[in-house]
Amino acid sequence: MTTTDAGSAGRFVGQSVRRKEDPRLLTGRGTYVDDMSLPGMLHACFVRSNVAHGRIVSIDCDAARAVDGVVAVLTGTELNVGRGSMQPTLMFEDAANVAVQPLTEGTVLFVGDPVALVVAESRAVAEDAAELVEVNIDMLEAVVGFDAALLEGAPLVHPDKGANVGQDMPVIMPGWDEIKADAAHVVSATFNQHRQTNVPMETRGIVASFDPASGELHAYLSTQNPHEARLVLSRVTGVPEHLVRVTARDVGGGFGQKMFLFRDEQTIGAAAVYLGRSIKWIEDRRENLIASNHARADRTTVELALDADGKLLGAFVDEVEDAGAWPLGSMGGAAPAVGAYFTGAYKLPFLSWHARAVWTNTCQRGAYRGPWMMETTAREQMVDYAARAIGMDPWEWRRRNVVKDADLPYTTPMFMTYDDSISPDATLEQAAQVIDYDAFRAEQRRAFESEGRLLGVGLSLYIEPCAMGMMDPLSTETANVRVMPSGKVSVALGTGSHGQGLETTMAQVVAEELGIDIDDVIVVQGDTASSPFGRGTGGSGSAIIGANACRLASAAVRDKAFAIAAQLMEAAANDLEVSDGRITVKGTPARGIDFAEVARVAYLETAKLPEGMEASLEATHTYKAPPVTWANACHACTVEVDRYTGLVKILRYVVSEDCGKMINPAIVDGQIAGGVVQGIGGVLFEHMIYDPDGNPLATTFMDYLLPTAAEIPTIEIHHIETPAPNPGGHKGVGEGGAIGAPACVFNAVADALALLDVTITDQPLGPREVLDALMAAGH
Amino acid sequence: MKPGPFEYHAPHTVADVTALLAEHGDECKPLAGGQSLVPMLALRLTGFPHLVDLNRVDGLSGVERSNGTLVIGAITRQRVLERDPQIAEAVPLLARAAPLIGHFQIRNRGTVGGSLAHADPASELPAVALALGATFDVAGPNGTRSIAAADFFTGTWSTALEPDEIVTAVSFPVRGERTGSAIHEMARRHGDFAIAGAVANMSLDAAGRVSAAAISLFGVASTPVRATGAEAALVGAAPADINTLEIGRLALADQEPTDDIHATGPQRARIAAHVTGIVVARALEEAGR
Repeated sequence: MTTTDAGSAGRFVGQSVRRKEDPRLLTGRGTYVDDMSLPGMLHACFVRSNVAHGRIVSIDCDAARAVDGVVAVLTGTELNVGRGSMQPTLMFEDAANVAVQPLTEGTVLFVGDPVALVVAESRAVAEDAAELVEVNIDMLEAVVGFDAALLEGAPLVHPDKGANVGQDMPVIMPGWDEIKADAAHVVSATFNQHRQTNVPMETRGIVASFDPASGELHAYLSTQNPHEARLVLSRVTGVPEHLVRVTARDVGGGFGQKMFLFRDEQTIGAAAVYLGRSIKWIEDRRENLIASNHARADRTTVELALDADGKLLGAFVDEVEDAGAWPLGSMGGAAPAVGAYFTGAYKLPFLSWHARAVWTNTCQRGAYRGPWMMETTAREQMVDYAARAIGMDPWEWRRRNVVKDADLPYTTPMFMTYDDSISPDATLEQAAQVIDYDAFRAEQRRAFESEGRLLGVGLSLYIEPCAMGMMDPLSTETANVRVMPSGKVSVALGTGSHGQGLETTMAQVVAEELGIDIDDVIVVQGDTASSPFGRGTGGSGSAIIGANACRLASAAVRDKAFAIAAQLMEAAANDLEVSDGRITVKGTPARGIDFAEVARVAYLETAKLPEGMEASLEATHTYKAPPVTWANACHACTVEVDRYTGLVKILRYVVSEDCGKMINPAIVDGQIAGGVVQGIGGVLFEHMIYDPDGNPLATTFMDYLLPTAAEIPTIEIHHIETPAPNPGGHKGVGEGGAIGAPACVFNAVADALALLDVTITDQPLGPREVLDALMAAGH
Repeated sequence: MKPGPFEYHAPHTVADVTALLAEHGDECKPLAGGQSLVPMLALRLTGFPHLVDLNRVDGLSGVERSNGTLVIGAITRQRVLERDPQIAEAVPLLARAAPLIGHFQIRNRGTVGGSLAHADPASELPAVALALGATFDVAGPNGTRSIAAADFFTGTWSTALEPDEIVTAVSFPVRGERTGSAIHEMARRHGDFAIAGAVANMSLDAAGRVSAAAISLFGVASTPVRATGAEAALVGAAPADINTLEIGRLALADQEPTDDIHATGPQRARIAAHVTGIVVARALEEAGR
């Protein structure tokens, strides 16, 4: 269900145009990495550590090398020599990072750590041979979890770093003790968010082809960010950037996992150059679960000071993130943001925070749809916790503390200013009203008192920073809008659409600006050979950065088309308008010329062009995002907890969101729904669990449980469209669903359990955890 | 995710199957629907140099009713259990259990005999067979024999079958008069293996008292188990006097389920007791209709 004010919608922008991608994707004609086959292509299989921490005594590859069909068995001895940094461009010079090598030598640091690479004529042969590589490891004590990592005298994951705490950032403002001393209430709680992983439907994959004669490296990749992948492949292999080409046609999801090129894909690139061959590596699901990246894994202690009316006086946040063993581009990437953005949608006079990140003997932490969403999880769960502690309804607490329109612009205690383009108060009211909050409270009481049933309602309110303009190279996108002599238009973008429908939404923007039909526009992205340098797709940025680049490049094309048309029609350019592919004089629609005719003249009859005008009809525009664009939303859900089995059933799920001006409401709804499903899955089903020795226990979909359609309720989505201060008025929407949902579901379950005076603070909330809480309280 | 190398055999007769099994011994495994075996091979959790495909063997598929017995060929797809009206009428419990087995794509391929011979302790059909007192027809190189369900399941993924024997058919008694049956399980998602589940088959006498009670539990031990104490407490009772919560607790009195990442042992027992209460109530309700 969608409600929106469609009054401002254009012919294409604001319309739920059908996705250009869908016919090929829905008929099985998408092209993913595994669909790529090159002549003479070899296949690779990694040999990975099966212990979490240990010294490599020996790696015996003789038996594997003797297998018929095996071309090479490589270890760090061969492949690590002379490698450049494997860290992302964003942070590859940061000294705090660990030095990651293609294949681990010396000490393995997690189950899944790659120690050798078998390259063979088929994947099956490569797997057969990989089984014959004998890796002899002396086990060391594994560091698993926050307590183990922070323990005095704990074994060190990276002894050269001298500590397991890889980042320690206190931002302590003066006066907290005084505020607490004067507060009517001080409430404190610690929340654990468990480890999860992205689980794209298409696992990671690469076909890397090196031609020793030309020196060119061509990588077909499943990536969100082709230009970043080219930069990284160039650094790690030493092949100059102009001789590296990255192509990604269809990408089956990423959710952050494919934003920065990870170690294994880089290793295959290095192996292709080393062997001078083409090599395919398609990650299998077990590898994806244990050795791609994990996420969440936060522990946050929140202390709130409140006055007698429940109004916020201040907050202190202590956040620890588990970065795993070999983080690429993520050490300390999330924890400071948890502190910095903790304010959320509330008037908060004071905030101090302390952020730390620890190394552990587990899979690296990486970006996952809302990488620092613990700020919302911890804050929103704390709001309910504190409201209950002072005897106030959580909706009422939010109403008293939310930033209202009259408070805008509002500057947070971390000196960030919310302009008047946000609407947290309106989304809070809409979500609570749609879920019929007061009526549900009455039903909750009745069901508990007369039937003993446990119903609960949860709210989650947040403001999300999108499209970070201060974070090069993620801040800019360049669009090249090229009109062909027939009047058809090709748009080249450096984006890496992996489910966002950018081939549709960017075409909507261009067609709208040029006044032509959307079927006359093709968006070409995902290939470094055809597109200008770009930021890829992630961080809720493509609608803001990509669409505005398209809009402004299109405006330049339109201006030039008007200048040509003015010359041809003997009219003034500023009297012209364009729609339905025809340029006409305003107020005199009979006087006009087809856009296609203007294009033809621009290329094929250049003598008719205005004097001094360059032939051709195209323009390129680079758009740099504002420092930050704020989106906001409120989620509300109701649940029933089965007190016998611990199962949670979601009864209703409502989202009220404001992503500014929507380009395609159906795609916006899809983005929100997808994020919400991942949030629900994260709380109720998904748990990337390790045993104390560092063995991953959820290594297949039998144990890493993803939500399916059967577990997900209808997601009722409502829109409030407050334009953002950028040319298109757009805000980000890719991550929001996943940011808001976990706290919403958690709060509803906590609300239900509070009927029995049972308190919970930790995710996940599978039946095991729910029953643990109930049984510990004697229920 | 590629299985190790194996030789693939596709015989057409049971005799050829058992001859191959006898010839290759431990190095050989029969392949039925492949819904458990193939993933285990692909993950290289197990491996066999020889696979004997049962799908082309004559006479292993089909459903036949005679003299109060429903005989189901071993290679009959699980999907048949939920779609064949003859089965729903003769042994309704089978039709009720089938939708709980994985997803329909799995049931289209998975077989009745394969699920029983695989003997996963958390799967549905073994518990149904145990509760109903099914009989397994087994063939080996030296001929055929029958094994009662009560003797068939010997441990996790282990049965009374010899390595050179296969199940050829399973016989279920047709539902009697004044009899009701039910199956229920608690799984985290639709289609998952159950954390715990229970099957009940109840008969009433002419006076409306319980004349026969069978309860089997799955997911709580290394095999499906009969809840004999709870069954004994039910026989002779009038349904109105039966406290199903108490029966559930009694059913789990002798069980000590183990932990896994989805539930602790005590939680599993609590869930199984709850589920047992539900199936007993449903079966009694149907029997009294």
